[in-house]
Amino acid sequence: MASGRAKKIFRNNLGAENPVFAQVLGICSTLAVTNVLKNTVVMCAGLIFVTSLSSLTISFLRKWIPTRIRMMVEVLIIACFVIIVDVVLRAYYPDISRQLGPYVGLIITNCIIMGRAEAFALTNPPFLSLVDGFTSGLGYSYVLLCIAFCRELLGAGTIWGYRVLGDWWVNWAIMIMAPGAFFMLAIFIWIVKGHILADKTAKAT
Amino acid sequence: MNDARSSKTRERFGTVLFMFAVTFVSISAVSAIHLVTAETVRQNETLFMKRAVLEACGMDEGSSSREKVLAAYDECVVPFGEPGAETHYRIAERGSGALAGYVFVRDGAGLWGTITAVVGLDPALGSLTGVTFVKQNETPGLGARIAEDWFKKQFRGKAGPFSFVDEGTRSTSKQVFDAITGATITTRAVRDILNRTIEDAPGIVTREP
Repeated sequence: MASGRAKKIFRNNLGAENPVFAQVLGICSTLAVTNVLKNTVVMCAGLIFVTSLSSLTISFLRKWIPTRIRMMVEVLIIACFVIIVDVVLRAYYPDISRQLGPYVGLIITNCIIMGRAEAFALTNPPFLSLVDGFTSGLGYSYVLLCIAFCRELLGAGTIWGYRVLGDWWVNWAIMIMAPGAFFMLAIFIWIVKGHILADKTAKAT
Repeated sequence: MNDARSSKTRERFGTVLFMFAVTFVSISAVSAIHLVTAETVRQNETLFMKRAVLEACGMDEGSSSREKVLAAYDECVVPFGEPGAETHYRIAERGSGALAGYVFVRDGAGLWGTITAVVGLDPALGSLTGVTFVKQNETPGLGARIAEDWFKKQFRGKAGPFSFVDEGTRSTSKQVFDAITGATITTRAVRDILNRTIEDAPGIVTREP
């Protein structure tokens, strides 16, 4: 039963109910960190860690959290995990931490984490909440990685800092800047919702 | 009536107590992790700064292992300036101890925030021995490319006062450097920091004992 539900959560969070292209959450960071692939990977890892563990913790506490102050408690727990990520990065991966700068702290304000806590972890048992948090993070990550891959390739001619396009390639500076992210995200949503998911719903009905 | 009021009071008290308990536990966890890593973080920061100073004065040790960096720094670098806030360094040559140059740490306004550059000058304060950046919040992929090697290395041996030309020109003139395409404001900030450093350097060096 639980494993069946877990599978369903997994499918939904990656597909039809994906936090980025279906729920349109976490767009701020989608626009901000996707111009270089390396930063995106660290951001995604941080987000997966924080969503999983904050969902798990909030689910453990769900029966005791007074309804009135639940949001305060959620933000506190989320902030706590984010600070842990930040401190660990600063101590053991100083170069990455320096590159990401303020972005790590901004994980706190990522709506996906709060959204999963409110919509799922408060009413579901710990294991399922952990699965939900983790898969929401995955759903967010793969979308960001796709966007970052295209933006870095078109904007700088590199992948992961290595040059892949030759000297003939003229960098599209707009891809590195925020408007590039809007274009890429819109194209991504259009492809996924307009074609891939639309075919599925057409078949289902 | 009284019962209802007392249960309400209890509920409120419970809420406050719960919030207090959660806050206490989270802050304890964060503080514990902070205390465990504080020393490592501090060491990372000093090492990073020392690497930058060595890189700016043109020593290859800047990119080698931790031990080598610390040894080279202790042997060659003497900070001077306000005690506790040293932003100028006198560099001695390895072995002979003769004056090899000066290093200055200078700030300037970038596009998103302060850019802190570490600038190395030769003993005559005539030309640059190296430039590196220790703090910058420029746009990744555009302004943040000031951290790339080709950009930093082009300053070696140049004299200023600087102006810049298009990226890819690879100018050999002593007063000109290649800008970064799409990051004119950042490039301007770097130009201003370097020009100010070169202008102020003689004053700073003669003022100090």
